[in-house]
Amino acid sequence: MTRINASTLEIIWKRLIAAVDEASAATIRTAFSTSVRESLDFACALTNAKGELLAQGTQSIPAFVGSLPRSVQLLIAKPEFSALRPGDVIITNDPWLGTGHLPDMTIVSPIHYRGSVIGYAASTAHEVDVGGRAGSLEMTDLFEEGLQVPCLKLIDGGVVNETIIAFLRQNVRAPDELIGDLWSQVSALDIIRRRTLNMMEEYELDDLDEISTEIFDRSESAFRSQLRKVAPGTYRASLKPDALPAEIELKMAITLTDKECVIDLTGSSAQVKGYSINCAFPFTYAYSAFGVKALFAPDIPNNQGVLRCIRLVAPEGSVVNHTFPLAGFHRHMIGHHMPAAVMAALSQVIPERTIAKSGCGPMWTLQQNGIRKGRPYANLFFFNGGVGACSKHDGPNVLSWPTNISGVPVEYMEHLSPLMIKSKGLRPDSGGAGKYRGGLGQKLVFEAVGEEPITVTLVAVHVAAGADGIAGGKAGEPGRISINDEPIRSGKAYPMKRGDILEVLTPGGGGYGDLRERPEELKIADREAGYTLA
Amino acid sequence: MLSTENKDRHLLLGVDIGGTFTDIVVVDRKSGKVHTYKQLTTSDNPSVGVIDGIKNLFARDALAFGDVGRVVHATTLFTNALIQRNGARTGLITTEGFRDVLEIGHERKYELYDLYLEMPKPLVPRQLRSEVRERTSVSGLVTELDGNELVAKARELVDCGVEALAVSFLHSYVDPTNEKRAEDLLKQEFPALAVSCSYQVSPQIREFERTSTTVANAYVMPLADSYLEGLEKALKELGIESRLFLMLSSGGLTNVEEAKRKPIELLESGPAAGALSASYFARRNDTLDILAFDMGGTTAKLAIVDDGEPLIEHSFEAAREKRFIEGSGLPLTISTIDLIEIGAGGGSIAHVDQLGLLTVGPKSAGSMPGPACYELGGTEPTVTDANLKLGYLNPDYFAGGTMAISVEAAEAALQRLADKVGLSASEVAWGIHNSVNENMASAARVHIAELGKDARRYTMLPTGGGGPLHCCEVSRKLGISRVICPPSAGVASAVGLLVAPARVDRARTYVATLVGLDWTDFESAYRALETDAAAVIEETLGKGSLPKITRFADMRYVGQGFDLVVALPDGPYTAESMTDLRNSFAAMYREIFGRSMDAADIQVMNIRIAAQMAIKEAALQSEPHGKELAQALKHRRKAYFESARAYLDTPVYARSLLPAGASLDGPAIVEEPESTLIVPPGASFAVAQNGAITIDLLVQNAHEEVAA
Repeated sequence: MTRINASTLEIIWKRLIAAVDEASAATIRTAFSTSVRESLDFACALTNAKGELLAQGTQSIPAFVGSLPRSVQLLIAKPEFSALRPGDVIITNDPWLGTGHLPDMTIVSPIHYRGSVIGYAASTAHEVDVGGRAGSLEMTDLFEEGLQVPCLKLIDGGVVNETIIAFLRQNVRAPDELIGDLWSQVSALDIIRRRTLNMMEEYELDDLDEISTEIFDRSESAFRSQLRKVAPGTYRASLKPDALPAEIELKMAITLTDKECVIDLTGSSAQVKGYSINCAFPFTYAYSAFGVKALFAPDIPNNQGVLRCIRLVAPEGSVVNHTFPLAGFHRHMIGHHMPAAVMAALSQVIPERTIAKSGCGPMWTLQQNGIRKGRPYANLFFFNGGVGACSKHDGPNVLSWPTNISGVPVEYMEHLSPLMIKSKGLRPDSGGAGKYRGGLGQKLVFEAVGEEPITVTLVAVHVAAGADGIAGGKAGEPGRISINDEPIRSGKAYPMKRGDILEVLTPGGGGYGDLRERPEELKIADREAGYTLA
Repeated sequence: MLSTENKDRHLLLGVDIGGTFTDIVVVDRKSGKVHTYKQLTTSDNPSVGVIDGIKNLFARDALAFGDVGRVVHATTLFTNALIQRNGARTGLITTEGFRDVLEIGHERKYELYDLYLEMPKPLVPRQLRSEVRERTSVSGLVTELDGNELVAKARELVDCGVEALAVSFLHSYVDPTNEKRAEDLLKQEFPALAVSCSYQVSPQIREFERTSTTVANAYVMPLADSYLEGLEKALKELGIESRLFLMLSSGGLTNVEEAKRKPIELLESGPAAGALSASYFARRNDTLDILAFDMGGTTAKLAIVDDGEPLIEHSFEAAREKRFIEGSGLPLTISTIDLIEIGAGGGSIAHVDQLGLLTVGPKSAGSMPGPACYELGGTEPTVTDANLKLGYLNPDYFAGGTMAISVEAAEAALQRLADKVGLSASEVAWGIHNSVNENMASAARVHIAELGKDARRYTMLPTGGGGPLHCCEVSRKLGISRVICPPSAGVASAVGLLVAPARVDRARTYVATLVGLDWTDFESAYRALETDAAAVIEETLGKGSLPKITRFADMRYVGQGFDLVVALPDGPYTAESMTDLRNSFAAMYREIFGRSMDAADIQVMNIRIAAQMAIKEAALQSEPHGKELAQALKHRRKAYFESARAYLDTPVYARSLLPAGASLDGPAIVEEPESTLIVPPGASFAVAQNGAITIDLLVQNAHEEVAA
């Protein structure tokens, strides 16, 4: 057996991460779902035999921090999966076992070596469609959200369960795409399995235990050494997200010790009935842990050693850990606030490392519905705003944060919808003032140009109040949405007829530090570029 | 094949300006002899280094300037201008309401965990971006351009010192009327101004990418103009009368006028030459599917060649903010040879990371201060130091013996790192060598998976100073079992300049479904691209040139959110072509997804053509001169091999003295002035008639097919 030292461990771990990256690349290449292909809304992972995370795709978006190893651990604890065979693949989209909403399909497969299970390959991907009300904000419960897939063996010892396939096909709007995506995920798991076994053979390993211990311990100790640089204590923040159909308060208390970081959401609002904004535990964990990891260990690849230093306490029955059968399709409307809450809490102790709030976290969406040649259709567009400033520089203008979703090109929007875009530009003076200015939001003006009337539904946040600044920085300008100069409400469908004008002004990011400390040359540069008008 | 050069002028001259060195290569068509020379690049004024290098080589090898029949040039000049932001002061005029498109971009982060991310700054600052009233919609012209307003806005920009101006209007790929009018007016009113219009440079849907490409083109136009003019003049003054050709990123050649119009297409000309050279040498050894592996001082590049042709990509990212991270650069819709660049080279520095692990790169010591063994002030251990310690490099024959390097300095640097991780200097040296190989293999694996290909199917072809040193180990990691090491591997990539065909790529957006397609209009859209391309080929190779034209289209099933670039049958297209086009798309679709959806209608998004025409290839003669093996054996030295976990007594051969037909077993080291080939134990190698060395590796891939 190869001696594991600082050099061999580096190579072996890099090989495992590359195996998962290779599986991710294969997923992107062969998936149908645009959210997978363009927004990388998926993740692949490798765990050890206990389900502890060894490697995750480098490009995994924050939604999946910690979710896959948790799914593996919960699934293999079930009696029916206690003796998995080679060629088994488990499937589920259970929000509480998976990632918090039904479109994310999770699959897990054991990796056998010399007769025993040495690890698991796992994948989650946001599918094109899983039936149900296709993303409506108004949902009484999970049954409206779509098709629930219980924990089943999709493939049993190499044999595909055609009954499951038939059920899936019958219950979704785009069956070819869904099944195609599942096969894309299955082949990704196979890549992870083969590459892992090749590595073990080359390095003469019998299992992944020693490797795991080394990786986890080193990561944990690197994380803890970062924690030790910060004064221990409990730091609190509270936010009231606007533009939600219900009054919600999120309370966060972060306790830092020299060993771990505990995020406690006790005191946050109760779960919501009738709207799909509940945030299941795994999604709440993912976005909270993302904020903490980005602060303390941005460069350490995701693995259990880091995850075990970040603990979440979220009371059951609250909006950040809701219970069956309430709906959580739009979990991001709560979950995307978590990193900002982490920043707000820790700005009390390490302000110089935190960043101010971003304008479009949660992301803004525009759903446009209409009838074309007698058939209903829908378009979904995304808009981003300014990012919060940090202690080093101004916040970037118009950028997705905390998730990572592209805006849609104007020329595509005009091809897809009966809207003519009159302008899309930076919104001067929208960044929160400070030593460093928040990033600017953007302004889009749409004119309805089709014969047939359409409806538009904007989901917009930071409309009542702007994104807060940090360390003395001011809040950014709030967002504004209007039709023909009349303000409209977030989440409500409005009709538009030819000639109507929809204006969408996304919020700027919060500023950092005292404006009086802003270097004169930056003020001049801002005026020259027209980022500020005064 | 068309002869573009005077028969008496039997020398072909290739010049490749790289970051550190300018490579000059001359092939004598009469004798087949190859002459090479490395001159230090003169970054401030690159043509100085070019001319000096040519003079030095011609003097050294007693060649006559008057005998030069063709000059082919590749340069990093334009890439560097984008990286260093030292192009022309450039303005941009857009449709009213859209001047910020260039700055807003994709709205996506290129790194998720970096809270302090900075996005690349646009090439044109906001105060130099102007708007005019005009509009085209998805279905055609809506509002005509007001010429007076345009000229007034342009004058404001010119008054601000703008030397180049980009024009990018919405939907100009549907109807370029307003852009064409703007172009005419600007040329008339401001004859000295470099003008670049999006309908010319990138008539493709997606306003950000189109504008970004047009702006980048404008940004380097003045530089291209003065540089190419100066170079032509300097060559003439030397007495070189033949024409100058430029290498394109797509691996083809073009003429000076076209290069001045679209310098953005020259960005990746050097690496393209490398990939072309690799496919040339592979073909000479009856091999068509290769992984071209070029490793130099700071980076390694990998390109895939299928069936003798390097893969082409239709989008590219220049000047990445974080050099190797996708999404951190300026997107350009140009055709380039598909290659990946990895921060791994001889100068890559090894260090211990925050987890206590031994890692290598991407930071590089470059050539100044360079690796510790150079003793030029570098104290951190690099890949070159590790290779020296492992016995792979010969301290007395580094760069052909022209440069002294110190084993002691390398060892001291390695020892310092070894002490930090509790290993020996040798263990650290192997760790560094192995780690940099793993970095390259990992990047290759992921890229090959992106393309849906299988690495094991390929032969590796190494070039560059580091390629032959690392090729066998990287191959083993990828499951590749065969390596072809070309003669003069260290400078082989410049040979690509002399084997390239003339080439023109053209593309435009054409949104339509196959059902209900206006076939006459569709055909004439292709014809227009082909006519335009053929004119450039004639400009390059002379009147009457008839290039081979390949048609492509970006296609998708209606309702899907992504396209495949599909090679199509030759035209002309009529309504009868429907089945052929459907089949071409379905075949490619099946290749990727394992099945096709035969009932669904197909949508076309972009149409593309590639026009290519071969130019007389240089017939390289590089037969080995050796008589017998014993003469080629220079000495034996200890070299480390992991499979033996020991330093083995290894024979060292002079490549120039190896006889053709010789067949040997590893371990062995083969030295030539510009590179060293390492053959591990268990491998065997043979010297071909044409001078190439073919290596067969023992490769195990136990779990590739069999389930555990």
